[in-house]
Amino acid sequence: MRANILTIYVIGVLLFLAAPVLIVIPSAFGQEATLAFPPIGFTLKWFSNILAHPELISAFGNSVAIALMATAVSLVVGTMTVLALRRYEFPGREALRMLFLAPLVCPAIVLATAVAMVLSPLGLIRTFTGLVVAHTLVTLPYIVRTVGASLAGLDVALEEAALTLGANPWQRFRTITLPLLGSGLLVGATFSLIISFDEFTLSLFIVGNGMMTLPLEMFNYVEFSIDPTIAAVSTILVLITTAAILLIEKLGGLGRQFGQSASGGAR
Amino acid sequence: MNADMVRAEEPVFSMNARAAERAVAVSLRAVSKSYGAFPAVAGVDLDIAPGEMVSLLGPSGCGKTTTLRMIAGLEEADAGEITIAGRRINETPPWRRNIGMVFQNYALFPHKTVAENIAYGLVMRKVKREEIARRVAAVMAQVHLSGLEHRRPAQLSGGQSQRVAIARAIITRPDVLLFDEPLAALDRKLREHMQVEIRQLQREVGITTIFVTHDQEEALTLSDRVVVMEAGRIVQVGRPAEVYERPVNRFVSDFIGVTNAVRGVVTTGPDGCKSLRIGAGAIVPLPLHADPPAGQKLEMVLRPEKIVVNGATPEGWVSIEGSVAHVVYMGAVTYYHVDIGADAPLVAMIPNEQTFGASGAIPIGAPIRLGWHRDSAMVFVPPDP
Repeated sequence: MRANILTIYVIGVLLFLAAPVLIVIPSAFGQEATLAFPPIGFTLKWFSNILAHPELISAFGNSVAIALMATAVSLVVGTMTVLALRRYEFPGREALRMLFLAPLVCPAIVLATAVAMVLSPLGLIRTFTGLVVAHTLVTLPYIVRTVGASLAGLDVALEEAALTLGANPWQRFRTITLPLLGSGLLVGATFSLIISFDEFTLSLFIVGNGMMTLPLEMFNYVEFSIDPTIAAVSTILVLITTAAILLIEKLGGLGRQFGQSASGGAR
Repeated sequence: MNADMVRAEEPVFSMNARAAERAVAVSLRAVSKSYGAFPAVAGVDLDIAPGEMVSLLGPSGCGKTTTLRMIAGLEEADAGEITIAGRRINETPPWRRNIGMVFQNYALFPHKTVAENIAYGLVMRKVKREEIARRVAAVMAQVHLSGLEHRRPAQLSGGQSQRVAIARAIITRPDVLLFDEPLAALDRKLREHMQVEIRQLQREVGITTIFVTHDQEEALTLSDRVVVMEAGRIVQVGRPAEVYERPVNRFVSDFIGVTNAVRGVVTTGPDGCKSLRIGAGAIVPLPLHADPPAGQKLEMVLRPEKIVVNGATPEGWVSIEGSVAHVVYMGAVTYYHVDIGADAPLVAMIPNEQTFGASGAIPIGAPIRLGWHRDSAMVFVPPDP
């Protein structure tokens, strides 16, 4: 009896979590010109309709480019940060560690206001650079977290052994540290790409004519039209994200990266 | 000139005059290191001869590992001078010191094969590919690893991992080979086996070696000389037999081997001979080399295996009566804990030479006579008054 109630409860929660996806994906195939659930009929015309909206295509291109840049910057800065936090002992190290994770817990709207106030006098509003800077702010903590977890599982003696065997610090990094951080870097990069691609609040304060990101262009679109084109775009995004998550699961495992002190490389 | 002759007399090495001129492979001069207010190493002086195997022995926190890590360059000395092959290396980074180091948990690179692990030092030194292959094959044969080239470290047993770590450390022909408690993780049988193997290999290669351990048996087995450390300082340096038979103080005698220690007061007999009055009244002659003032409180230290039970006590031997308080049968030997009226029982280790020794053990409470050569005992001023 209790087991049955529990089963119903679990199914309920899962349905609740999956509901948006379960509603949006079928809607993309409905024939009606308004977003409706349950959809009526079956068509692929909303997918082809995406091509008729160059602003969606160019926003998609922007989002991909921004996500790639923000991720690249985050990987370099994040890895350096994590190595420095590990290798050097200095007063305030723990505080600094927390600070690097702060954007994760800071309300997005507060962060967005602050970023806009800084970028505006620098002339970076409505620029690609401005968006990359803003996105890096939110992707960096993910890199610091995942690469940090990998590094925590990496025995210091391995790096010391490299030094005693004649490797200078750069050779040590290239031949030992970096390869052993591999899975942490990969998982972090995937997260970073997804977070940046999905970023809305920060982007809202920076985008403008000529420099839109996909989530905001989609938001604009539904303000004026409620045909299922947006559902079609959403379906494509869900597929891409799912593929990315499956890839991470296969390569390292999410649980390991975000669970207990994970050892990404020490296998 | 004189010094050279003294060195040349050392039995372990045979070297020509030229080698004798610079007969110090590694030297430490007043080397110190503190962590904050804690002095980990406080003024260590040590000379190690080429080809010598020296162990740094002491309890955890005595500074032995820090000393080793300073030689490796993984810690920086606060003061003093470290030289390898006559060159000051305090400022030289580890990767230019030409050392080999074997770590406590081997520190094998998990993403590289056995052969790649062993080749690492040569690759870093940009040695030619063919020569690397040749030297890797040679060293793998030397440490009995042939055939395991393509294994990953995760697929190796403890003993194999150990051998890979050693092969990786010696393939670059380092000036000094450093071991940081490398056998601590192995079980007893394998540990003893690896001790023999390491010693043989070290003799074969003739490499100057420093071995850190907290295991006194390991230090005695492996080394030409043992360096006993306590609280960041060297307490005693000597051949294994020296530190065992003639410890300089209670710390060394306690740390190395099993020891008896009973307290007494120096008394002068009617013949003017000094002896030690222990507890209720046992009188023990002092070792011949000791001449403390009468009335001084002393501690007599005596190894259990130096004591004979109910045996003959010829000239120069001490003989005292006691009663058996406890018997511990250990297979090869039996330990008798004997109450002689002192503050602690004297423990005598008696080999079970004959099979009936076990059944014929002296029962608890029985009277027993203990004897030892008076020079087997050592006297120290007790640590606390």
